[in-house]
Amino acid sequence: MFALRRTKRGVLASATLAVSALALSAIPAQAFSVHAETGVTATQIKLGITIPLTGSAAPGYSKIPSAMQAYFNYVNDNGGVYGRKISLVVKDDAYLPTLAVAKTNELILKDKVFAVVGALGTANNKAVAKSVNLGRRGIPDLFLNTGYSGFADAKKYPTTFSLFPSYIMEAKIMGQYIKENFAGKKLGLIYQDDDFGTDALVGFKQAGVKFDVSVPYASGSQSAQSAQGWIGKLKAAGAEVVVMFGVTTASGAALATAAAMAYKAQWILGSVGGDATTLKAVGVPAYVLTGAMGASFLPAPTDTTDEYVKFFQGINTKYNGDAVFDNNVLVAMNTAMMTVQALRAGGKNLTHASVMSALENSGSSFASASLSPINYASGVHVGYSGYWFGTYNSAGELKPNGGAYSVYTTDSGAGAIVKSTFKRPALPANGLPTN
Amino acid sequence: MDKNIARRKIVGATFFMFLGIALFIASNIVDELRVYQGATVAVYVVAISSIILLTGYSGQISLGHGALMAVGAYAAVLSRNYWNFPIPLTFAVAVLAAALFGALLGMAAGRLSGPYLAGTTLALAVGLPSLANQFKILGGEEGLTYDVGFPPLSLGQDFTQYKWFFWIAALAALAITWVIFNILGSRYGRQWRALRSNPTAAALLGVHVARSKVLAFTISSGIAGLAGALMSMTISLVTPSAFPLSLSFAIVTGAVLAGVTLLTGSIVGAVVLVAIPEVTAALATHLGGSEKVTSNLPGLMMSTLLILSVLFFPNGPQLHRRKTRKS
Repeated sequence: MFALRRTKRGVLASATLAVSALALSAIPAQAFSVHAETGVTATQIKLGITIPLTGSAAPGYSKIPSAMQAYFNYVNDNGGVYGRKISLVVKDDAYLPTLAVAKTNELILKDKVFAVVGALGTANNKAVAKSVNLGRRGIPDLFLNTGYSGFADAKKYPTTFSLFPSYIMEAKIMGQYIKENFAGKKLGLIYQDDDFGTDALVGFKQAGVKFDVSVPYASGSQSAQSAQGWIGKLKAAGAEVVVMFGVTTASGAALATAAAMAYKAQWILGSVGGDATTLKAVGVPAYVLTGAMGASFLPAPTDTTDEYVKFFQGINTKYNGDAVFDNNVLVAMNTAMMTVQALRAGGKNLTHASVMSALENSGSSFASASLSPINYASGVHVGYSGYWFGTYNSAGELKPNGGAYSVYTTDSGAGAIVKSTFKRPALPANGLPTN
Repeated sequence: MDKNIARRKIVGATFFMFLGIALFIASNIVDELRVYQGATVAVYVVAISSIILLTGYSGQISLGHGALMAVGAYAAVLSRNYWNFPIPLTFAVAVLAAALFGALLGMAAGRLSGPYLAGTTLALAVGLPSLANQFKILGGEEGLTYDVGFPPLSLGQDFTQYKWFFWIAALAALAITWVIFNILGSRYGRQWRALRSNPTAAALLGVHVARSKVLAFTISSGIAGLAGALMSMTISLVTPSAFPLSLSFAIVTGAVLAGVTLLTGSIVGAVVLVAIPEVTAALATHLGGSEKVTSNLPGLMMSTLLILSVLFFPNGPQLHRRKTRKS
């Protein structure tokens, strides 16, 4: 009797479950409209971004989404893109590859964005490419916030368009600068121990630069404590010139600890971790930064004689709550301006394919604040390719060495490093692209 | 006696078959987001059932099953990347590696119980995943790629990657739950239940307490290893950050929420774990919270649920009033 009851209950349970599963499954899948691309309606274009808003790498980069949205709001207030307003869905991935994958899944499966723009992090983007595979889904992955050279491989990442110069390019140009100006000095290097840092190692090798001491750090392990170990190694090796190829919190920790340990060297900060405002915010004393060198492909954010910087500062005041205007804000707004032009070039009948072929065909002539040329072409997804060098003064401003911006360009391979004669397009009237 | 056992097996088998068919049909109708969530639910089902076996049946607490999932995942990925094992074999490697680790852990922690065992496993959960940063071969924070390959072309062009993950995970979950169901119904399951209620009485009845405990730990770890491998499959990645402390807590919460002694509770617990971020995200948007709020709300909710369920429903939602029968 007892057994019979259990059998009945068992069968009843399984039947109920099966029926409810079927009932649940009757929820219709999203209707696929052949007329409009996912994320595009008559009035809106939805874009998505994954970026560290919290976590060990957040300082500095967390300002990017609001700065991008500020420029988008300006464009929206002035007619948008052919009448469509741009909205940016922001997801926090705390610089962790697993979260980047989860949040990107949300962006494309739940929020159903048209494209992902400015996704930050080398390891994060690699994980997303492998797992979510935007390339296979045909979803544009535009203007990644990373310089990892691999992403420019159009065969491997067919829908990805790099923007920043690659770390190999940066290391090559930096390497040449070191050889020309610091020959004979003892060289040290601190780098992030993943593809972001090893990309730079390839570039330094190309340039023929040998470091007397190399200190890798695991992403996320940067702190005042771990930095003591780094500076200790540099001190022991007697490094006179130190290249810092890490995120801002890492370069911040390194510089602050160097000051505390009274270690003096000529610091050369990579572009990723070189924003002066953020460095000061994470505790780097101004005097340590003074005299350090940095590289950038954009004009210095403090250079108000530059028409793009001046314009973006205005947008920052009006639309971004007058946040502190630093390199992160400049980078963000520049990316936003490139995005708007890409969307415009995609035409009124905006589709994934139209945006990507437009970028290949006309992307190289887009207006942007960068002093480096844009290299998009058919089958070529490389964006910028050059850097200029400067020195930080006591006010934390990066001033170009030699007084004027002299940009050097190269490629991610064995190509030579060439002084650039590129003249960038003038700022469009009122900062509103008309391409 | 035999007739009851046979009937139990038939009922169980029918149940699993029905469930399998229902899931198969569902996966073809529901949209990709639900399918992906379904894969995650399947992973949690496996993980939670390992806790049910360990805690619900043999009475041992583990707050470190996330670390055991990591062991399984890394073993699976390494066997794939270095020896090119086919996927089912990598899962087997995951189970064996985690089981071996669990056996060692079980033997080492044999004399510990209650809060001391919990503390030991907690230390493991915190310390083990970051070992990946120490050895180059484990890929550090960036992690290793776990590529299960694209779905076979015979299934059609529209067969998405996530549906493929769901089929693999669901099949594994069904299979392993069927195995656990049978183990729990065997004499080992009865030994564990005896062990749980009163180790001394069990010993007097002839149950070898230490051996039984270690066996429970071993099997539970092996299952957790499979869950780890499946989880890595769904994100195509194995990194330390995929196995944080909160994962260990989450699966214990899932087990407790749904009744730590009930195997079917693993499904309910898994669904709750996947539903919580969804619900809190909707809640956060309603309350107009920032992305920072949305990121932290699920954790808060999980902890609150765990506390509440331990306070008010320590034996799970009392759906089957077996325990409160008047003697």
